[in-house]
Amino acid sequence: MAFKEPVEKYNNSITEVSISDLKVGGQSVLTGIYSFDGPVPNPPKIAMEVLDVKPEEWPQTLVDAVGDVYDDPVKWALKCQNEFKADMICLSLVSTDPNGMNRSAEEAAKTAKAVLDAINIPLIVYGSLNSEKDGEVMKAVGEACHGKVILLGPADDENYRTVGGASLGYQHKVAAASPIDVNLAKQLNILLGNLGVPLESIVIDPTTGGLGYGIEYTFSVMQRIRLAALAQGDDKLKSPFINMIGKEAWKAREAKISESEEPSFGNLATRGILWEAITAINLLIAGSDIMVLRHPESVKLVRSFMNEFFK
Amino acid sequence: MSKIIASSAIRGAYKVFDRVSKKYEEALQKFGPDKKVELPNTGYYLPVIYGLLGHPVKTLGDMKPVLEKCKSLLPPHVEDKIWVPYLGHTLDAGAATLFLFEIEEALKYLEDPIPYFVAEDCDEDHLWLGAADDIILRKRGVEFVDGTAPGFAAIVGQAPDVETAVKLARQLIDKQLYVFMAGGKFAEQLKQGGMQLGWSTRLVPFGEPVSAHIFSLGFATRAALAFGGIKPGDYKNILLYNKNRVFAFVLALDEVDEERYAAAAGAINYGFPAIAHTNIPQILPTGICTYEHVVSNVPLDEIVDRAVEVRGLKVTVTKIDIPVSYGPAYEGERIKKENMRVELGGPKSFGFEFCQMKDMDEVKDGHFEVIGPDLDEIPEGATVPIAIWVEVAGRKMQEDFEPILERQFHHLLNQAEGVLHIGQRDIIWMRITKKAFDSGFRLKHLGTILHAKLHNDFGNILDKIQVKIYTDPEKVKELLEVARKTYRKREERMAGMTDESVDVFYSCTLCQSFAPTHVCVVTPERPGLCGAYNWLDCRAAYEINPTGPNQPIAKADEIDPLKGQWGTVNQFVYEKSGNAIERFNAYSIMEDPMTSCGCFEAITVVLPMTQGFMVVDRDYNGMTPCGMAFSTLAGQVGGGAQTPGFVGMSRQYVLSKKFLLAEGGLKRLVWMPKALKEFLKEGLEKRAQELGLEDFYNKIADETVATTEEELMEFLQKVNHPVLSMEPLF
Repeated sequence: MAFKEPVEKYNNSITEVSISDLKVGGQSVLTGIYSFDGPVPNPPKIAMEVLDVKPEEWPQTLVDAVGDVYDDPVKWALKCQNEFKADMICLSLVSTDPNGMNRSAEEAAKTAKAVLDAINIPLIVYGSLNSEKDGEVMKAVGEACHGKVILLGPADDENYRTVGGASLGYQHKVAAASPIDVNLAKQLNILLGNLGVPLESIVIDPTTGGLGYGIEYTFSVMQRIRLAALAQGDDKLKSPFINMIGKEAWKAREAKISESEEPSFGNLATRGILWEAITAINLLIAGSDIMVLRHPESVKLVRSFMNEFFK
Repeated sequence: MSKIIASSAIRGAYKVFDRVSKKYEEALQKFGPDKKVELPNTGYYLPVIYGLLGHPVKTLGDMKPVLEKCKSLLPPHVEDKIWVPYLGHTLDAGAATLFLFEIEEALKYLEDPIPYFVAEDCDEDHLWLGAADDIILRKRGVEFVDGTAPGFAAIVGQAPDVETAVKLARQLIDKQLYVFMAGGKFAEQLKQGGMQLGWSTRLVPFGEPVSAHIFSLGFATRAALAFGGIKPGDYKNILLYNKNRVFAFVLALDEVDEERYAAAAGAINYGFPAIAHTNIPQILPTGICTYEHVVSNVPLDEIVDRAVEVRGLKVTVTKIDIPVSYGPAYEGERIKKENMRVELGGPKSFGFEFCQMKDMDEVKDGHFEVIGPDLDEIPEGATVPIAIWVEVAGRKMQEDFEPILERQFHHLLNQAEGVLHIGQRDIIWMRITKKAFDSGFRLKHLGTILHAKLHNDFGNILDKIQVKIYTDPEKVKELLEVARKTYRKREERMAGMTDESVDVFYSCTLCQSFAPTHVCVVTPERPGLCGAYNWLDCRAAYEINPTGPNQPIAKADEIDPLKGQWGTVNQFVYEKSGNAIERFNAYSIMEDPMTSCGCFEAITVVLPMTQGFMVVDRDYNGMTPCGMAFSTLAGQVGGGAQTPGFVGMSRQYVLSKKFLLAEGGLKRLVWMPKALKEFLKEGLEKRAQELGLEDFYNKIADETVATTEEELMEFLQKVNHPVLSMEPLF
């Protein structure tokens, strides 16, 4: 008897979300690389993260990779697009943090608009993760970027009305962030739905734990959300995932501590890249649809890994 | 439905129809049917007509069918002799009036110069702004969606004087509402009062005649189209969107003529009620609006509060206005005698706290009163009695929620820096520091805290809160008796509630983050296994947060009353456990028992040798007759699995009439830790008496007589425990 490959079939599919002319989701398989189980209309995307100010505490490995553009978000974004071949740009408006530089929503919106106008790939705009301020910032960003469709985020249970409102008013998409919990992710999607935001406009940010720092929780919660969506047909959980991978991976001590301090850890330059790439590949297997990365080399690694599946 | 309102509104609509038809014909003569008509910079044409009828008016000629539609909508005049249900007719007249107003106002944009100032804000010479463009709509509309502006007040008429006008406007702005003005001199009054007018200050003058209020409804309609994703022509959902999400109302400040009645009838279609100062007839029953439709004869100093209440708008208090810091950091603060300015209640005196539901008109929101000496009138270091008497009212408030709100006082008051609060009901004990006193803290601030926090945390169930603080010993004594009566009544009510007496149970899936297949089913006679949520708490939690972890479960399709199994409950548990748990018995430990997350207060275990139950609680860390200590057992039982023979539960469930009923209930209880036994003593004795079990309390073993099953068996035989004569479990 000839060997027949087992196929996991589901009768439900992940909601397709269009961000400008790029689509994510739409698959009826557990993750966007399980092309052996069924068609994957929109393979996972790699976004590269661009900060709106010169990064202060980045490890040298990263700073060197980005090069001389790191104090200009427009040039930086263009470099990610043209040189590093990112699918999308994720602009992190870290300077708006009220406990930091506290830049105004209007200034942040100008930066977002400048980046949007310069690039020809889709844009994600993330706030500083201060719920209240992010709401204010996303309103301004949404308004400034009206006319093109971008992904705004993160919306959480405190500011979802504001971020959701900006999405409705200016026709953008929303990343709904909840702290590693199936029910909370579902609740936030319900709340956004009650506000009027259609499921076709929502991606879930399940909160990302980096390699060695909680990745197993993220992995497990993403799998559970996918199983609820595909096996049980839970409409509210059928959204594609976005994962802020670079930010979490490069926080790890292991990704940035010098060789002289930890000789057994091996070469610093490759270590950080691998830390980020392995985090990404793990979450890719868990079902990530948009992976936000920082280092061009890990982008290459993750892409070559993905390509193996689509040969 | 008021006949007077119906006949006036319908007459008004006819008048408007005649006037607008004439103006339209004139315009048609002058410009021809192909003349373009548009409001400034909008993609929604004439938005009310476009939204409700799905008909884009682009030219003068396009208005013709709308006029014909209006004509067909105009109902017959109300006759003296024949009585019909007027509401439908009145609403039709109202809708026709709105379309006519929109045509009338749109025609003004053909005039040269346009009689409106096309801008976001007014300037010195220009007061009337006319229609808002789409840029303003989006920017302001987001505020309507995110709640920074819950809605708008459409003002008709004018205040008796400038001062009153300014005061009213300030009150509305304080509630974060937009103030839309047309039909009267209110806007001019505000200008005279020195107020800045325009979208930036939320005081928006649309136009002089009442027809300009069509821009208020045009704004509302476009909000539904832009933010609700509703398709033009889907009038039902546009109107519902506004009813459910845009907290708008009409404030009629002076005389209401026929045309204004017609306009108000139009607004009622959107669920926007009218609140009138003058003594016009009322429409009180609910139907189209959330609550009343027309409320009249409201004094001007109450009109804003009344409007907010009638529209069902919730109050949010953003800042707790007290002279000390506030936050969870201060919750655990202890206050020593030497730092204490005054002590209230406690063992050396007496005191209590009490929450009572009242009718809406009996509570003045934000009213605080101190009866008896305040902190500055009490000698330093003294101890005095205290009563914290909180009266609440709300459209969704129920008496059953009183104790739930009351239980919040403890942690809410404790979070103020320099305030200590211990206990609840009639065993409260408070201290306030010298430092808090020196910063200006007084007793009324206890009211400020409760008012702000209860509004924010429980806004879904209450609308108004007033607080009275008593320190006068005689008064406190007197009221204490009243409160105690209620406490008793509440206990009896909870004790008298049975699973049979309700048709809804509640779920709790709060713990699914770590026990994904666990679903707690909370019934009146089986509290949540953590002991923190009883049935009433879950019901209140559902009212407060309808999308949260506590959801109603219909109790129907009874399968087995003894085991506590219902088809609908099974279905619910199956779905919410991610299809992991197919069946669930509320009162059984042997067959499909409830799952456990890990938060259980106690665990019940079947002991095979004795055929009895042992119950062990979290506080006991010694060995038990089943051979496992609590911590080991917890690992076996938790994680969302059904484990026959083991069940996690609250301590109080032992005393329930439904306690493992399927297997014979309390009669099988053979062992508990001594401390738990003593904690439940009163209840155990009462239940044993009800069951006719003699000297049962003393027949329950504890760790002082048995920590192995053999020792336990010996003891049970010695005392002749009733389990020995029961049918074996397996």
